[in-house]
Amino acid sequence: MIRVKIIFGLVSLMFLLLLFGLFNLEIIHGKDYRGLGDRNCVRLLAQKGSRGKIFDRNSRVIVDNKLSYDLMILPQDSAWQDKILSKVSQILGKSAKDLALEFKRGFVNKSMPVVIARNLELKQAIALDELKVDFPALIIQPNPIRRYPNSKLACHLLGYLGEIDRWRLTKLEDYGYKTKDVVGFGGVEEKYDYYLREEEGGMSFQVDHRGRFTHNLGFKPPINGKDVQLTIDIRVQKIAEDALGERKGSIVVMNPFSGEIIALASSPRFNPNDFLNQDNAAVLRLFKDSDSPLINRAISGTYPAGSIFKLIVATAALENKKINQNTSFLCQGGVIVGRQEFKCWSNHGSQNIFNALIHSCNVFFYKTGLLVGAQAIHDYALKLGLSRATSFDLPYEKTGFVPSPLWRKINKFQNWFDGDTANLSIGQGDVLVTPLQITRMMAVFANGGHLVTPYITKAIDGKYLIKQHRKPEKLNLKPSTINYIREGLRGVINNPSGTGNILSEVGVSVAGKTGTAQAPPNQSHAWFSGFFPFKDPKFVICVLLENGGPGYNSCVLTKQVIEEMIAQGLL
Amino acid sequence: MRNSLLVILLIALLISTLSILSIYSCTYQRNSKIWQTIYQRQMLWVILGVALFLIISNINYRRFWDWTYLLYILALFFLLLVFFSGSVRLGAQRWLRFGWFNFQPSELAKIVMTIFLARYFSRKSAEDVSLLSGKFGIFRGLVLPFFFIAIPMGLIIEQPDLGTGMIILFLFISMLYLTNVKLRYIIISVVLVILPMPFIWHLLKDYQKDRLLVFLNPNIDPLGAGYTVIQSKIAIGSGGFFGRGWLSGTQSQLRFLPEAHTDFIFAGFSEEWGLLGGIGLLFLYYLLIRQGFLIAQRTQDHFGKLMAFGISLMLSIQVIINVAMNMGLAPIVGIPLPLMSYGGSSVFVTFIALGILVNIDKTRAVF
Repeated sequence: MIRVKIIFGLVSLMFLLLLFGLFNLEIIHGKDYRGLGDRNCVRLLAQKGSRGKIFDRNSRVIVDNKLSYDLMILPQDSAWQDKILSKVSQILGKSAKDLALEFKRGFVNKSMPVVIARNLELKQAIALDELKVDFPALIIQPNPIRRYPNSKLACHLLGYLGEIDRWRLTKLEDYGYKTKDVVGFGGVEEKYDYYLREEEGGMSFQVDHRGRFTHNLGFKPPINGKDVQLTIDIRVQKIAEDALGERKGSIVVMNPFSGEIIALASSPRFNPNDFLNQDNAAVLRLFKDSDSPLINRAISGTYPAGSIFKLIVATAALENKKINQNTSFLCQGGVIVGRQEFKCWSNHGSQNIFNALIHSCNVFFYKTGLLVGAQAIHDYALKLGLSRATSFDLPYEKTGFVPSPLWRKINKFQNWFDGDTANLSIGQGDVLVTPLQITRMMAVFANGGHLVTPYITKAIDGKYLIKQHRKPEKLNLKPSTINYIREGLRGVINNPSGTGNILSEVGVSVAGKTGTAQAPPNQSHAWFSGFFPFKDPKFVICVLLENGGPGYNSCVLTKQVIEEMIAQGLL
Repeated sequence: MRNSLLVILLIALLISTLSILSIYSCTYQRNSKIWQTIYQRQMLWVILGVALFLIISNINYRRFWDWTYLLYILALFFLLLVFFSGSVRLGAQRWLRFGWFNFQPSELAKIVMTIFLARYFSRKSAEDVSLLSGKFGIFRGLVLPFFFIAIPMGLIIEQPDLGTGMIILFLFISMLYLTNVKLRYIIISVVLVILPMPFIWHLLKDYQKDRLLVFLNPNIDPLGAGYTVIQSKIAIGSGGFFGRGWLSGTQSQLRFLPEAHTDFIFAGFSEEWGLLGGIGLLFLYYLLIRQGFLIAQRTQDHFGKLMAFGISLMLSIQVIINVAMNMGLAPIVGIPLPLMSYGGSSVFVTFIALGILVNIDKTRAVF
């Protein structure tokens, strides 16, 4: 019978098709389906480690973490779930409706735990933990979060935490960073993020079709971030920030021999907690504030140097033998250079190098500057660390700027006139410096001719970084040059007519130089930079008040800082 | 030729063994007592089934000729009984409770309808082997038998069990074809089945519509109607060449795959036994069905011949549709995989059918 054969043939054909279907599913697409199958039943419950802590030089905590608890729930049958939520709502004091809403919002799929409440107190967590006996679907996840016990203190050098942005992600992808990672922005948090960051661990377990736990597959403990110890003395930092108050400005305190930063204050400040709590309104306010509270003025703020720049001119002149300690110029309240009169702020009469530093006489330095020449001044400025980065650890350091005839010619197609040299000699014109650069320059006179590299990190994960830091660089200045300038700097303080005489009574011998940098149309910037004690310097200090008036104001601030340091026995 | 009895019994026992192993594997992780003993129950069904098989294979199949109408009425009775007092499970009213045994009359109806159609299209006389049906007009060749088939079919579809209903319809059309009913009648009947399809759509239950839509694209509802197909494909696919190994399938044991011990046992089996196991199992079925068709071809008696065809075809359709739906190649219908799926009714009916098959072959040798 032919029809039977046809039917049997059809049946055989169908079997062949089934075989082909089987082959297609198991061999051609087998790997995909195996992966899907595994994903079906293997769940990962991530557990966060804690980010590395940050200590000051005496191991005082600057930033650490506190444990907060998140409550998660595995999706259940709706009746059972309502029961759980009502129990939970009793403990948390939230309405079950809100919890259900939170659950709905966070729901991904049947077998993923959903966070229904965050940042629980320890007490609540313990109470919830007892519920777990009856409701195994509850998961209480410890969650370390950053804590800033000192609130705004040292905010600029620490930086803040936030979700990684696209730009950082593209740079850091190769180092294991992922989207939604929390990373540091600015300061130590950004610079040492790689060490500070924690590694997520977690538990992998098998679940059944309802997402119910069947058995454990493995646990990888989270790895905590490495602790970072800074060279900062948190007490000095606090003194400096308190002194600044709400005024705009910066105070830098540094060890003149090693370059260890003892304090690095910038004002106005911000609160890193605003970023942590995702307080959008507050963050937006910070970004929009015209006073730029997020800028670390100590390293990212550039200002005209004013009279402090005279130290460069003096050094260049003494080194190049254009003047000696006996050379004097007559100050009659001004001098005519070219067709323009350059004024001094007083009529000082005959001035040698010491008097000129003490009185900050402009005429002396106009004339000295003209003798030395603009290019030599520029070269010495660079030698003493201006107009280039200091190689400081923290990111976003500005280089500042010192002009030179050559630069003017190449970039502006303009000639350099003697008037420009005169302007340069008193640190005006195009000169821009950061407070950290001035601190470093002052350290050269404090330590006897070495240019240090400032740094802020003492140890990472308990290992001291002393070898990683650059050695101070010997500048090969003549000892006499250093000594003359040091004498002058001391005179600024202890000479009754010195510009910094107010600091003569602070209880420690201070040497330093004031500066009043013109910043028309605004008020001038007030500078003071110095070191103390004079004989055996322990600290270099640089105080800047942005639009803070005459340099005298900074001297007052310096006085406050030094007196408070003495009062706390930090000297 | 006792030979065919041994071959068929051997193949059936091999498949049953795989069935018990698979059922054990996909239930052994479960806690409740019922689930733990389910493979033992299947063992019992197989043992009873083999006994039935041996008994039936010794009953002359021609007795069924006389019993046909009795059997037909019995099947109708059970189907009506289900209709009025069947137990509802999984949204369908398909089962009758006899103490601890849940009986599924639609399974019985399948074999009874096969016998009925074989009888209808053949003569009692064993000597006259010529076919009547070639001379049938449209009424006797198409309308009347369809009327007889339509009653139980309607009851089954109403349960609802669209799958079994369609199998019976398909069986009917195939039998028409095999009995040399004029081709144009067959074409008419096929057209009559296909034409009202768009209207039948509105008569379908919502879940049946979902299943059809999901068959066309399982991803339209991955957690609802499409869930089973997707999980079943994942189960089969993750088997790979050698499979995950017995007792190691995650899809079936962790219950991602629903009905892993009944309708979707092939997926669970493939996950653990891989392509090798799948090919082996399909090959066993093919051998079994081939035996059936060979017996049908060898048989001279028209009644026996048609019955052997019907049985073989019924088995073939069930295997093909079930496996195809496991692989997502056919819409999901409630059709078990004969001898593999858990369930007494299906096991019994399959063994009875095989018994009849063996007897046809044995009796034929006596002629």
